[in-house]
Amino acid sequence: MTARTWIVAGLAGLTLALPAVLDDSALAVYVLLGLAAMVTVGVSLLMGYAGQVSLGQGAFYAVGAYTAALLALNGVPPLVGLLAAPVVAALAALVIGTPLLRLRGHHLAFATLATQLILLSLAGQLEFTGGDIGLQGIPQFGVGSFEAGGASVYAYLTWAGLALVMLVTHNVIASRPGRALRALATSEIAAASAGIPVGRYKLVVFALSAAFAGLAGGIYCFYTGYVAPGSFPVLLSIQYIVMAVVGGLGTIWGAVAGAAAITLLVQGLDRLATLPGMPAYAPGVLSYAVYALVLIVVVLFLPRGLVPAVSGRLTGKRTKRADR
Amino acid sequence: MSAFLTYLLNGLAVGSAIALVASGLVTIHRVTGVVNFAQGTFAVIAGLCTSSLLGLGFPHGLSEVAAVLAAALAGLLTGLAAIGRPGTTPLSSLIVTLGVGVLAYAVEIVLWGDQPRSAPGLAGSVTLAGARVQTQHLLVIGVAAATFALLALFFGRTYLGKALTACASDPYAARVVGIDTRRMGLLAFALGGLLGGVAGVLVTPLRPISFDTDVTLIVNGFAAAVFGALTRPVITLAGALLLGVAETMAAGYGYGSHQLEVALGLMLVVMIVQASRRPAISQERA
Repeated sequence: MTARTWIVAGLAGLTLALPAVLDDSALAVYVLLGLAAMVTVGVSLLMGYAGQVSLGQGAFYAVGAYTAALLALNGVPPLVGLLAAPVVAALAALVIGTPLLRLRGHHLAFATLATQLILLSLAGQLEFTGGDIGLQGIPQFGVGSFEAGGASVYAYLTWAGLALVMLVTHNVIASRPGRALRALATSEIAAASAGIPVGRYKLVVFALSAAFAGLAGGIYCFYTGYVAPGSFPVLLSIQYIVMAVVGGLGTIWGAVAGAAAITLLVQGLDRLATLPGMPAYAPGVLSYAVYALVLIVVVLFLPRGLVPAVSGRLTGKRTKRADR
Repeated sequence: MSAFLTYLLNGLAVGSAIALVASGLVTIHRVTGVVNFAQGTFAVIAGLCTSSLLGLGFPHGLSEVAAVLAAALAGLLTGLAAIGRPGTTPLSSLIVTLGVGVLAYAVEIVLWGDQPRSAPGLAGSVTLAGARVQTQHLLVIGVAAATFALLALFFGRTYLGKALTACASDPYAARVVGIDTRRMGLLAFALGGLLGGVAGVLVTPLRPISFDTDVTLIVNGFAAAVFGALTRPVITLAGALLLGVAETMAAGYGYGSHQLEVALGLMLVVMIVQASRRPAISQERA
């Protein structure tokens, strides 16, 4: 075994052992961190490898959460609901992506943002999604007669989900389509000339990243037992971008590290902000400020290695404007 | 018929406000190639400033002008962050302006709290051809028209405006003839802030503004700007008016809850049609 394998195995073992010793509030952080990491791996794959910016990843998280919640509330076994969450999210991405992925750059960013706003607005108005109040009383996750009682079960579930997401992403990147994706992120025309089915590959990656978000959303709805449009603000999507950019686009471990760093930072500041004597608005203000400053500083001062794919997509533009 | 006319005029007022936000977006994008995600933020800052200044007892006029100048300053600062560092690509700059918008949330909550605020505008209403219209709506239309006329004069008749246009059409050639493109970019950001500020000041009396109103404003503004491919001010104005009228009609004739979907759906359709009509090569280059 190489050193790298040892490190990965060590990390896996350590994180798997953690839920047994953490208390409930730490477990909540553990679960949220894992879920954010699952979505961020997808965002990183989409932005870093396929060169597409999605400001609407929270929409697929919401689709997954609503799917699992609706199925579970209608008496379908939770496991089926959880499995359906990524599938429905991926199908939604296929339907939405077919027209949207003709767009690129800032057009795609705004289009995905618009998609999320439309979905949230619909979820807030439709009868079967519970309107603005959302869906409550979602049953606990369980398989057969086993029912998840404590938070640690969700921690293990999150761990397994994240491991699956990372494994799938690793295999996609290492495969022939993975190399094709890197090619089309650099130049779609060059990639198309080399015989890469550009449109189909972009769509598949879009759907795959949506499936990751959907799976995370599915776990989230069982964990909190409650979903509403307010649970999936636009800021959630921006948060995933921050995590992916901070960790380094196009790297699996970078996405996980970015998600971990931002989640822990925001949670730490939250503790600080809820100390007695702090104003009531402190938690919100501090987390907004952290997202913003981290994002700006990383994009401006650490662009190499962090946004190579995004800037690579605009190489043509850069040469034209390089001497500005 | 009079109901129709009321909706039409109200829609034109809403559209004029959108047009002001969109024109800032277009000005900045033309000169720097950056889509400024913080454009809605400028309007929010100006709106909140007006409500505070009026609340402190400053007279009308002075408060509004000060608020617009504050928005212009915010625009300049955003520009410094977004394009101040040489070699920042337009897409990186977009992400930076996104960060600026979120940072503004933090500042706005500290200064003004997270509840929506309003400001008194022109009171009363006028009856035009049997349709009752709020005076503030007419003011919005009038100011927007004047602003667009001034912008056209500025870009067409003044040296500075022509320099900005030169940067927009060919940055390299503009540099060759001695125009400082970076300074022009910052100027464009300040101008964008100013335009956003005007929009904010005009809109605040019509609908309360809170720190997160910027998402609605920027999405509507972007939708209008998309009509003109983010570069043509006149088509942007037309797009904004169409959008405003469409939204108000949808609201007036009983689809009020679907206002946002109408605007966003229209934007998506326009973008997709435009993308499918443009060859891929020009998109990767331009």
